[in-house]
Amino acid sequence: MRVLETGNHLVALAVRAAGVEVVPAYPITPQTQVIEKVAELIAGGHMDAEYIPVESEHSACAALIAASLTGARAFSATSAHGLAYMHEMVHFAAGIRAPVVMANINRALGPGWNIWCDHQDSISQRDTGWLQIYVASHQEVIDSVIQGFKITENWSVMLPLMVNLDAFVLSHTYTDAEVPEIEEVREFLPPYKPRWKLDPRFPVTHGSVVYPDDFSETRQSMQIGQNNARRVIKEVCRDYAEVFGRWHGDMVEEYLIDDAEIAIVAMGTLASESRVVVDVLRQEGLRVGLFRIRFFRPFPIEEIRSLGERVKSILVIDRNYSYGMEGAVFTELKGALYGFSNVPVRNLIVGLGGRDVSYELIADMTRKAISGELGEITWGDSRITPSHRVTLECLEEFKKLLG
Amino acid sequence: MFQVRAHGLGGQGVVTLVTWAAEAAYRVGKHVQAFPFFSAERRGAPVKAYLRMDDKPISLRSQIKKPDILLVISSSVVGLALDEGMGENTKILINADLELAQKLAEHLVRDVCYLDATTIALENGLEVDGMPMVNVPLLGALVSFAKIAPFEVVMDVLDMPARGGNYRSFKNAAKAGYFSVRCTGTEEIAVSEG
Repeated sequence: MRVLETGNHLVALAVRAAGVEVVPAYPITPQTQVIEKVAELIAGGHMDAEYIPVESEHSACAALIAASLTGARAFSATSAHGLAYMHEMVHFAAGIRAPVVMANINRALGPGWNIWCDHQDSISQRDTGWLQIYVASHQEVIDSVIQGFKITENWSVMLPLMVNLDAFVLSHTYTDAEVPEIEEVREFLPPYKPRWKLDPRFPVTHGSVVYPDDFSETRQSMQIGQNNARRVIKEVCRDYAEVFGRWHGDMVEEYLIDDAEIAIVAMGTLASESRVVVDVLRQEGLRVGLFRIRFFRPFPIEEIRSLGERVKSILVIDRNYSYGMEGAVFTELKGALYGFSNVPVRNLIVGLGGRDVSYELIADMTRKAISGELGEITWGDSRITPSHRVTLECLEEFKKLLG
Repeated sequence: MFQVRAHGLGGQGVVTLVTWAAEAAYRVGKHVQAFPFFSAERRGAPVKAYLRMDDKPISLRSQIKKPDILLVISSSVVGLALDEGMGENTKILINADLELAQKLAEHLVRDVCYLDATTIALENGLEVDGMPMVNVPLLGALVSFAKIAPFEVVMDVLDMPARGGNYRSFKNAAKAGYFSVRCTGTEEIAVSEG
């Protein structure tokens, strides 16, 4: 079914197509429309599921976990501060091995108060054990929700999965996309059959106290799940392409990398914008390629090592920052390359808090990276002045304003 | 690729207008992208919205600085609209009468195309809470001026919203918009056939 819809409504339509049975959620801009649409579909009899309006994001995630453990296919959606608020339960979902999918509409964390796009919210959940996809198009939003359940419910994975989509750029933008019919999806993604579930007839506790004697093992088991996911992701994405004819990459997506001298590495819609950069710079005779990281967790270690062997330099775009260090993708990418490649890597920080990032800006920075003018870390669109900083001069200015 | 940037005021239906235009293009087989710049939304505050149309899937996601058409829905945001950027070949389409359009054309030293959508909306009784529904005639104007689709497609798009009101008013206003865009520097009507 071809539709013209917002990214948020497409998430809801994908959730219905995936045969989701329980949706606990709490609204937060810019995610609210996901929940509105799901609630509307259920209330109108167009989706056979239980909608649980809860009193907070923390409870939303708790209900999500509980629903999943009773054997239901469960989904929720959140954003930014909502995700931060549920942080404790985000860890819990992975630790208890609940195969759920959650859409996170990527948004900056305040203060300064800001509802617009960057990746700080989900990057801050990096170490929780969730699988993380970052999508670059509306079509990929739909396909990733469906692929997501197939991946997370695989018995060798059993770790929750977060589908991250850029606020407004995807969430509130109308575009044309293909939503598969429920019947088509059912064959690819049959109803969830848990191998065990919580059942009051056979009471057990799950996720209870684990003593030091066994704790490391539970954590290592999560890492085994992440490692297994690399294989499962490739299989699921390949099968999905066979059934539905759509391919967005698996762990990563490459565009004109084979003969490239420099690779732009990016996640989310900045990768989509960078596709245009590649086309523009190739017309200038510059051999540029795009390497889009689709799965940030598990991190595409092998793919990046292969990239390191093929290109002469790498420009990593981060729409986040790890304070006291550098962009998170930059750190991770260098970690993967360590001991395998000495290719120079540069970091471009852009698009924080919804700052518009044009292909012209990325192209300009890429030209500078090629000519060696770009420093190790560049805040590409920041116009910082002393008045933005915590300085005595700034305080004096402020006092003058107060009179 | 064809790009439009629209400027207006909260309550004028700017975002709805751009979404309708996207639907018109979608109905004739184009790939489309329609998005507002969201801020603290309130009635009367400046609003901007963007529209991209192409025969192939669209990779660009950034805001539009050099649109093919700059659509100005309220004369009070002309300054904001111009500050946001234009290309050499950007065509200006403004909700204004001839007098205002001529003033703007003289100021900018370029032709300005115009439609008095406010008058058309009021003449057809299209009002919501005292605000003229300028987006109905302007949808007609944009779809014809940007050569998106024939007039019938405009009415297909307006079918659902028009059912909630007076269908004849919607149709007359959209038709007036579609067929009466004029430009300074010429006596001709920009589009005379659907």
